[in-house]
Amino acid sequence: MSESDNWFMQELEARGVSRREFVGFCSAMAAVLALPRTAAETIAAEVQVAEKPVLVWLEFQDCAGNSESFLRASRPTAADIVLDTLSVDYHETIMAAAGHQAEEALAATVKERPGGYIAVVEGSIPTGENGAYCTIGGRSALQIAREVCGNAAATVAIGTCATFGGLPAAAPNPTGALGVADAVPGVKNLINLSACPANVENLTALVVYYLTFKRWPPLDAWRRPLFAYGKSIHDNCERRAHFDAGQYVEAWGDEAHRTGYCLFKKGCKGPVTFQNCPNVRWNEGTNWPIGCGHPCIGCAEPDFWDKMTPFYAHLQGVPGFGVASSVDKVGFWATVGVGAAFAAHGFMSLGRRWWYSEHHPAARERAEEAQRRADDEQKGGQP
Amino acid sequence: MSTTAITHEPVTQPPLAVCRPGELVRVYVWQWPVRLTHWCTAYAILFLAMTGFYMGNPFITVSGSAGQHFVMGWAKTLHFYAAIVFALSVITRVLWMFMGNRYSTWDKFIPVARKRQTGLWNSLRYYLFQLRQPPGFVGHNPLAGFTYLFVFLIFFVMIATGLALYSVSAPVGSPFRVFSFLLPLAGGAQSARWIHHVGMWMILAFAVHHVYSAVLMSQVEARGTVESMASGYKFVPCEDLVYSGYRFLDRRDVER
Repeated sequence: MSESDNWFMQELEARGVSRREFVGFCSAMAAVLALPRTAAETIAAEVQVAEKPVLVWLEFQDCAGNSESFLRASRPTAADIVLDTLSVDYHETIMAAAGHQAEEALAATVKERPGGYIAVVEGSIPTGENGAYCTIGGRSALQIAREVCGNAAATVAIGTCATFGGLPAAAPNPTGALGVADAVPGVKNLINLSACPANVENLTALVVYYLTFKRWPPLDAWRRPLFAYGKSIHDNCERRAHFDAGQYVEAWGDEAHRTGYCLFKKGCKGPVTFQNCPNVRWNEGTNWPIGCGHPCIGCAEPDFWDKMTPFYAHLQGVPGFGVASSVDKVGFWATVGVGAAFAAHGFMSLGRRWWYSEHHPAARERAEEAQRRADDEQKGGQP
Repeated sequence: MSTTAITHEPVTQPPLAVCRPGELVRVYVWQWPVRLTHWCTAYAILFLAMTGFYMGNPFITVSGSAGQHFVMGWAKTLHFYAAIVFALSVITRVLWMFMGNRYSTWDKFIPVARKRQTGLWNSLRYYLFQLRQPPGFVGHNPLAGFTYLFVFLIFFVMIATGLALYSVSAPVGSPFRVFSFLLPLAGGAQSARWIHHVGMWMILAFAVHHVYSAVLMSQVEARGTVESMASGYKFVPCEDLVYSGYRFLDRRDVER
């Protein structure tokens, strides 16, 4: 079989993507997946002949940011074609069908291919009011997710809303929004791609991994692929040397900020956020938030928003002490308070000891007795 | 007033009256592992709080080439070494709760005995000026022991969240990576960080109370409370010894 016989290579040719570019893409994917360089060959060989996996893309409480990330409005690249290898049977934003027709397509996929398709979920699933906050075709997001994810070969929760609840789940979470793992417990092969939005490079790498190895990559405790979420942003940060040295941005636009010092004192959440942003970057490797002088806001972590705000402070405040409270302020005054309370106690103790020594009947008796004895001695001493 | 020195190994001799009412008796209370772990823990906390506070709010900054400085790096390194001392010290003290003398056992922290439960109440009444004399306990009074139970719990939380945060940056292949399982239990690294920071302030607030109360008790009770953590000996009124059940003392243990 000559190369141009297989559909993938034909597709590359038709779109004007050179063989060289494709091999370059495979090398890049091997790097994102933290595989050795030689893995690029395996990836290239497997991706060409892989069968198109069928995919349905569910959108619930979202802003379609992950769809934007998926569609990437830029020139066609090898990555686009790999993403196009997915046969997208249902995607509300990009499908041609509408209304009942579209819902029928989804129902058909679920019915005809149980356990034979990949469900991608974007957006959180509201559970309040029996799921009434998000309904599609008269069915709640929860019902749809249960049915579609429950019958899928694998479910990819894309974006922080779908993984952990994200913005809709921020306090007070009026809709009872949950991520897929919590809303539909026990989903088979759930893979979380958190971040707001998830980086399309990581979605591509996930697909490439699956096409190459026919299985899903190793995951962390939150079911996120280790190749993308195995290291903290802090540990791969290009400004890390400034952190270790003790060089920090103190104010926006100051000398340190212009020089590119560490953003730790501006509330950077890089040390507690797991993502490969520093390596993979965004918009085809153009730049990333810290690279352009803004601290990481920790968008890839559980309870993003509630726990990561205020964005420009190291820690969130103390509950019950107001939004502007800081742990250090409350802790300092609590320590002073304890000191003051025990100082007061100490003075009372000493005062009590003095009072008893002066006024207690037993003490008075003892004092009188001592006085008597002294007087007797004085008398006895006299000739 | 004469003093009497006693060591407290269980003695099988028949009970003897060892002291007269009103007499102060010198009693060996804190064995050397208790004293050693106490001071290791105390100084480790001092170092951990200083370096930890810097790590949370780096108030010392430097200029020039990043390659020439390592301020935060040193703060972290010292923090980690102090953490090793702290964790080993706390673990040793917990083990000693099952190996040490009667004043160091676990039931001095968890009041299971009826006597310590009433003693807890009476200690509280004493501190609230409801009783003139503290209930007679030689080692930790029941209220202090019960407070230390919570202090130990904070210590465990600090060790757990510290290990969880360390696992974030532990190099691949480091055995400390196993502690990453603690991260979800803490609610993520940012929550672990918050808990670790709040825990520091709780320990510092406790330390203020602890040092202050020890000095105060040394003044009010005049029993050598502060000095006992160096020497191991306390000066205990005879009545308290009798109340605490020291009926097994042998003449051999008594030095007049």
